[in-house]
Amino acid sequence: MSNGQARMKFYCDTTRCIECFACSVACSEAHELPVGISRRKVVTMHEGIPGKEYSISIACMHCTDAPCEQVCPVDCFYIREDGIVLHDKNKCIGCGYCLYACPFGAPQFPRDGAFGTKGAMDKCTMCAGGPEETNSARERHLYGHNRIAEGKVPICAAVCATNALLVGDAEEVSTIYRKRVSSRGKGA
Amino acid sequence: MTNHFGDVVGHSKVIFIIGANSAAANPIGMKHFLQAKDRNNAQLIVVDPVFTKTAAKADHFLRIRTGTDVALVYGLMHVIFKNGWEDKEFIKTRVYGMDEIKAEAMKWTPELTADVTGIPAEQIVQIATILAKTKPATVVWALGITQHSTGTSNTRILPILQLVLGNMGKNGGGCNIIRGHDNVQGSTDMCCLADSLSGYYGLAEGSWKYFAKSWGVDYEWLKGRFAAPEWMQAKGFSLAKWWQGVLQEETTYSSSPVRALWVQGNGITSMSQQVKIQEALDKLDLVVLVDPFVNEAAVLTNRKDDMYLLPAATQFETEGSVTATNRTSQWRSKVVDPLYESKTDHDIMFLFAERFGFYDEYTRAMKMAVKDRELQPVKEEFVWPDDACREIARTIKTIGLGGWTPERLRKHQENWHMFDPLTLEGKGPMKGEYYGLPWPSWDENHPGSPVLYDVNTPVTAGGMGFRNRFGLEHDGVSQLADPSVSVKDSKIAGGYPEITKDNIEQVLGITLTAAEKEKMGANWKVDLSGIINEKCLAAGVAPYGNARARVKVWQFPDPIPKHREPIHSSRPDLVERFPSYDDQKNNFRVDVKFVSEQKAQEWVKDFPTMLVSMRVVNLSGAGMLERTSKYLSHLTPEMFANIHPDLALQYGLRDGDMMWLHAPQGTKIRVKAQYSLTVTPDRIALPYNFAGVMQGVDLSDNYPEGTKPYTIGESSNTITNYGFDIITQIPEYNAGLCRIEKA
Amino acid sequence: MIEKMRDKMTPRIGRRSFLKMAAVGAGVGAAASLPLGRSLRAATAAEVKEPFPGSKRVKTICSICSAGCGMIAEVQNGVWVRQDVAQDHPISEGSHCCKGIDQIDLIKSKQRLKFPMKKENGQWKRIGWDQAVDEISGKMLALRKENGPDMAMFLGSAKFNLQQAYYFRKFAAMWGTNNIDHVARI
Ligand code: SF4
Ligand code: SF4
Ligand code: SF4
Repeated sequence: MSNGQARMKFYCDTTRCIECFACSVACSEAHELPVGISRRKVVTMHEGIPGKEYSISIACMHCTDAPCEQVCPVDCFYIREDGIVLHDKNKCIGCGYCLYACPFGAPQFPRDGAFGTKGAMDKCTMCAGGPEETNSARERHLYGHNRIAEGKVPICAAVCATNALLVGDAEEVSTIYRKRVSSRGKGA
Repeated sequence: MTNHFGDVVGHSKVIFIIGANSAAANPIGMKHFLQAKDRNNAQLIVVDPVFTKTAAKADHFLRIRTGTDVALVYGLMHVIFKNGWEDKEFIKTRVYGMDEIKAEAMKWTPELTADVTGIPAEQIVQIATILAKTKPATVVWALGITQHSTGTSNTRILPILQLVLGNMGKNGGGCNIIRGHDNVQGSTDMCCLADSLSGYYGLAEGSWKYFAKSWGVDYEWLKGRFAAPEWMQAKGFSLAKWWQGVLQEETTYSSSPVRALWVQGNGITSMSQQVKIQEALDKLDLVVLVDPFVNEAAVLTNRKDDMYLLPAATQFETEGSVTATNRTSQWRSKVVDPLYESKTDHDIMFLFAERFGFYDEYTRAMKMAVKDRELQPVKEEFVWPDDACREIARTIKTIGLGGWTPERLRKHQENWHMFDPLTLEGKGPMKGEYYGLPWPSWDENHPGSPVLYDVNTPVTAGGMGFRNRFGLEHDGVSQLADPSVSVKDSKIAGGYPEITKDNIEQVLGITLTAAEKEKMGANWKVDLSGIINEKCLAAGVAPYGNARARVKVWQFPDPIPKHREPIHSSRPDLVERFPSYDDQKNNFRVDVKFVSEQKAQEWVKDFPTMLVSMRVVNLSGAGMLERTSKYLSHLTPEMFANIHPDLALQYGLRDGDMMWLHAPQGTKIRVKAQYSLTVTPDRIALPYNFAGVMQGVDLSDNYPEGTKPYTIGESSNTITNYGFDIITQIPEYNAGLCRIEKA
Repeated sequence: MIEKMRDKMTPRIGRRSFLKMAAVGAGVGAAASLPLGRSLRAATAAEVKEPFPGSKRVKTICSICSAGCGMIAEVQNGVWVRQDVAQDHPISEGSHCCKGIDQIDLIKSKQRLKFPMKKENGQWKRIGWDQAVDEISGKMLALRKENGPDMAMFLGSAKFNLQQAYYFRKFAAMWGTNNIDHVARI
């Protein structure tokens, strides 16, 4: 970041991720998500093929020029100064444009009006809650815990079984990863 | 585990994982292996019949045919011996019986090994070379090694490999066996087992006498509790075949048939021979199931009466210590009071001890302590779990639990941030101690032993030689370590025997007072006075001796491990050459079939596909616990089998089709075929964590209202083939055959 | 230098530095008052609102597998309200697998067995502890009278804590049988 502004990013080191689902279950459990809503998913590619198989954990990537934000007809998204992409469930009309725009399939649409707002989109908040009063019962009910406000790491990265899932300022994350790779003496 | 996870991260250059899928079974163990890769550039070698999530991270993956582990290790040793790569000094000074191992290994050429194991000869040579040239290497295993009719041989051949390589007693080396449940190490150490008293004391008269004394009860009273004195010293029925005590189809040897089953926290749906277990459950006079959830034994049986479910509290509703896989003891604090009407397991035991008329004897030792070198009553009331913890600490000498006082264990928990994850060494107030006092922690001042058999560390700082357990000599050869092998800072140079009342003065070169002699127990294992321990530690001596590791167990049917084909082998041609054992009479009170079953017919003709059991990360054990979590159960919503598309197509099975799997003993299960390239077309892999469906029959109606988990399914153990280890009687889960049929 | 690199490579350190970067709540501008994470600063105590006022954090150990991961349970008025990671635990350093991080759900699960039950004429029936203990002990002692103590088979647990495991072994011994075993056998 040239302007010195930290931007919070996730990175999943696929040489580490073992598809243990801790991140995904931790997220669902912490935010009491209904079954079927997965803010964070773990997938394995080329399963069973030696040398090719890898697993990766995916959620909202909190994109710099978030496509979801750009397509939303009611302007429910807002981007914090630290780069976390959030949205207002009270504004959301559940149209699904964001899902089409998102390259990662992050937005989720509960069928049964969970969280009290019927049809409103749900996605990873980077454990930073939403526009309601910080750590209020209402914020927790609509968006889950606000760990960031408590000074805590998002639960998925905090719990990651293998430290595959990294979160933090984009530059710090890439430093950790680069150091890991260089000591391994291979890869790029 | 001889070492610990942090030690692997800190030092291991090779991690040889065989028969363990840490990524699924023990992800935090796996994290350490991956860290070792990143930090030490450690090479990860994974041997498994299936391409597991652990294998996916390996530098070298060896796809082994089930039940051929002994052959593989001999094949590796063949290459090592042939090139003179063994650690000659280590073998000469610290090992007994290696010549016979070498002679056996010389038979296992890479070609023969390749034929038996299915692993290419070049890969065997390559791996042997890596192991010989890259030190230290650690060897890791789990149930894939133990669950075989040759399980005992499997668990012996791997430490032997480490002895050949000189990797024992070293940082980054050792045998790091990954145990299963949270306190399976502790429950094993406490020997909730049919063949031993707590602390591996066995069942001999001397052991019973020691325990009678430690419990503060009269030995004659204790003896009188048994059917007859001989039954006190006879192994009981085992978990693997207790049901024969009920059904008595195979010859049994006991003073009574089994008529009542009392299960406290044991998922018996994770055992083999589910159909037999069902029959036995139906036939019993009384079934008592104590568990926080409905033990699925209650669902398996169709009995109508005389079955009770008692709600136990979970481990978060009580307090006590748990022993991790690395022998570390951790204090687990109570989070909340027992929920609903549940009671803690010990309270339930106390309730019934009272009704059975032995409550006073049962709890007496908690009101006693060693004072003036003698165990005596010291108070009127006991405090749970503190006094039980103290009782264990003063009683269990064999594995050195003397240091595990409740005060120390609590302090370690409070200060867990003061310990280094890589070395387990404490800092600040915890300086000089290792986290959780990994046993042996010989006394209240001993720091614990993070790396077993390390002679380069003083005994008082966690060092030691190998245990002297099997006499001073065998076939005229001394069993003690060579004179050149002295434990650091020990007053005695070279090997020494285990310390007894008779030899202590001579071995340690001390003179005891008359009072000391009077109070001292016969040997270090039964010395409640603590004098032997004290004198030994003062001299830098491990009470259990400094001996040689024996690679030959002269009392076993196979004194050195031998490859023997699984009972239900996929290679009848090899059965002729490597047959199983002769049938066994009276092990754990029941006969066991080996070669007669193996050769009863050419099984592979009717059952052409190898059956492999596997773990999924979201379920453990019988899965009852996790299947009650909506999130965890959602990850595997139903029972399935991983099957290679080529094999599936032979039976006209499309991805997701249902199929029947038939086992040699005439049982079957109906499961979903899930296409997967993790298996080859000669084998299928099944998770073993389901229950609630039996041979196609949904048992949902047998759950009490509101207790049915989110997912139920066929138990793979219904079709686990007949077969048991010759020593431990562990069932042969991991080598068997089946026949596929489209459902 | 090498040592420094190691530190950087330790993701634990990475996480700690993130912890320090603790961002303040939504909408509040990130004033660069502390040189912690460039534009981020530590949240003040007032800003970090306690979601569960008065709760205490209990250190405990995962009850699933023998890796022995540390856990933090937040308890408010005797109720386990939230599970958190134990970042400073020497074995797990904050990590869990999916089973471990879901311990709170398992313990509070709806499907828990809530009271003693017995099966009678093929029907499950709720009973009280007194009745359960009376009936079971009566039956056990009657069978013992007929066949002696080896008529019972006791299966213990790898989920006992150490003290309970020891006491279960003692229980079988004082009942008078070696018919006792547990899953270490498999
Ligand atoms: S950051 Fe929080 S909300 Fe986002 S995936 Fe992780 S746990 Fe879920
Ligand atoms: S917790 Fe970590 S290792 Fe496990 S699935 Fe998620 S990213 Fe992968
Ligand atoms: S969190 Fe997972 S790896 Fe850690 S102890 Fe629990 S079950 Fe084992």
